Amino acid sequence: MKKLKLSLMLTGLLAVASACGGNESSEAGGNNNDNESNGGNNNAGNSETEELSGSVQIDGSGTVYPLLSRIAEEYMVNEQQGVSVEVSRAGTSAGMQRFINGETDLSNASRTIKEEELQGLEENGIETQEFKVALDGMTIVIHPDNDWATEMTEEEVTDLFISGKYADDDNVLWSDVRDDWPDEEVNFYGPNENHGTYEFFVEVLLDEQDLVDGINLQQDYSTLVELVSDDENSIGFFGFGYYINNDDKLGVVSVDFGDGPVAPSLDTIAEDGDYAPFTRPVFTNLSIDAAKEKPEVKDFAKYIFEVADDLAGETGFAPLPEEELNSYIEEIDEIE
Amino acid sequence: MQYMDLDAVQSRMTKRIFFNRLSKMLFLASAFFGLIVLAVLLYDVVSDSIGWLSIDFLTSLLSTNPDIAGIRGAILGTVWLMVIVGPVTMILGVCTAIYLEEYARPSKFTTFIQTNISNLAGVPSIVFGLLGLTVFVRLFGLGSIVLAGGLTMSLLVLPIVVVASQESIRAVPAHLREASFGMGATKWQTIKNVVLPVALPGIFTGMILAISRAIGETAPLVAIGIPALIIPAPSGIFDRFTALPMQIYYWTIDSVMVQEYAYLAAATIVVLLLILFTLNSIAILIRNKFDRRY
Repeated sequence: MKKLKLSLMLTGLLAVASACGGNESSEAGGNNNDNESNGGNNNAGNSETEELSGSVQIDGSGTVYPLLSRIAEEYMVNEQQGVSVEVSRAGTSAGMQRFINGETDLSNASRTIKEEELQGLEENGIETQEFKVALDGMTIVIHPDNDWATEMTEEEVTDLFISGKYADDDNVLWSDVRDDWPDEEVNFYGPNENHGTYEFFVEVLLDEQDLVDGINLQQDYSTLVELVSDDENSIGFFGFGYYINNDDKLGVVSVDFGDGPVAPSLDTIAEDGDYAPFTRPVFTNLSIDAAKEKPEVKDFAKYIFEVADDLAGETGFAPLPEEELNSYIEEIDEIE
Repeated sequence: MQYMDLDAVQSRMTKRIFFNRLSKMLFLASAFFGLIVLAVLLYDVVSDSIGWLSIDFLTSLLSTNPDIAGIRGAILGTVWLMVIVGPVTMILGVCTAIYLEEYARPSKFTTFIQTNISNLAGVPSIVFGLLGLTVFVRLFGLGSIVLAGGLTMSLLVLPIVVVASQESIRAVPAHLREASFGMGATKWQTIKNVVLPVALPGIFTGMILAISRAIGETAPLVAIGIPALIIPAPSGIFDRFTALPMQIYYWTIDSVMVQEYAYLAAATIVVLLLILFTLNSIAILIRNKFDRRY
């Protein structure tokens, strides 16, 4: 008898598994029906927001993740309990790959979308729109006990990271930068090529010149923070959010862009702030098709820009100007 | 005739006794090394989890706010995962073992299957994860749901169940089978009524060990793309989910953003270890209870 039960279970499982291939569309259809009936009820009941269900899939940049996950939670707790917003952070490029495959509805990015990625999307017939979400300041971090390199000019910072600028063999000493600094070798750290932060630093700030040889590039920001905070001669770069959450373990370089040294802070990394030359926008890409098909995706996309200015600061970003955020909301509203 | 030179023997005695003791200490030290490391780890994790591990933590949903975050979703995700892994590995594993032990004649083909099962046991789990991503998530279009994760995990632990079942079927004494045949039973009747009941404790032990391996695995789940933030708890095998080891992984990495996440990770590790220790103890109990019944 036991065996019989087991074999019944096996058959059941197989049936279920094979039925799943074509399940996606039927499931989505089911959700749509729910929405319609819910919407109908609400219209009759004269309530302000219609109740949605279903899920929103988000992947992409690890830099943007803290902000988007915060917004997602706020949305699920306060706005739409029936919607599950799921946020991953495979990295800007890896996330974009999933976006091109149509696996996600929104794709976060710490850089603008690339030409070949746009082509891929076009080939798969996915229409997208890129939106700025907030501003992030590229922060130059040092060891907390480093009391000499706390103020540097913009040129000194970029030259330090460019191969061959201070020393032909890239064994740069602090004293190569300024004579009164110690005769000790500088150790460089940063996120690796998977990160949009790396691409922005090298392509925009270093103007595509080679990074110094021997720079220690890491995948995880947690490792990076540990390394910089354990090495007295360290210098590294990453997003402001990772610095401000670890400011007890890290020192920071105030950068002189011509009008005196400026330390990165929520005020200085804002639009037109004093730290603006090292500030970059972070993005999210919305699939227009997903927004058309799934009302929960459109609703959540609007919600992002409704709360982005409130929640940005909490997660270490400077908010965009309100008019810009409002114009995005209107833009999304017009998607039909 | 030459007698033993007592003085010479005496003079080397201290050295010999010293080496005797030294070797004993060396072996003892290596035996304790693993235990000490485990003890340090346990102390570290448990001391970190104090104050964070509570009923609320077990029953609340995930949150980005460490003060209200809980692991109900992760626990349920792990449970649903095992709802798939248990039956699938049990059925496939036991059937494979029965075929190999009872039906297959020694041939090149049988050796081929046998070797491949042993090889499968040595394949790194991330490779199974990529297989799951390609086949279940993408090809079958399942997405990162419990069913896809469960099937991936099943493939990963299947060799454990096959090998354990094979060994316990092989250990069934030949005279039991012969008696059954002697009574006129067919091969299938013998397997069903004699071999399997005797082999069952061994099979269950293998099952439990396989499940405890699956509960602790992270790499396959990372590969099939479990979201870092998923708040609703799964309520069936078609829901997207997160599992205990995934949550430990994400919280550990994210402790660079919010330092309290490290304590949440520690508390989750304690929960996971408790589950694993319980399962392994049950496996040992079953083994001891049914050892040598025949």
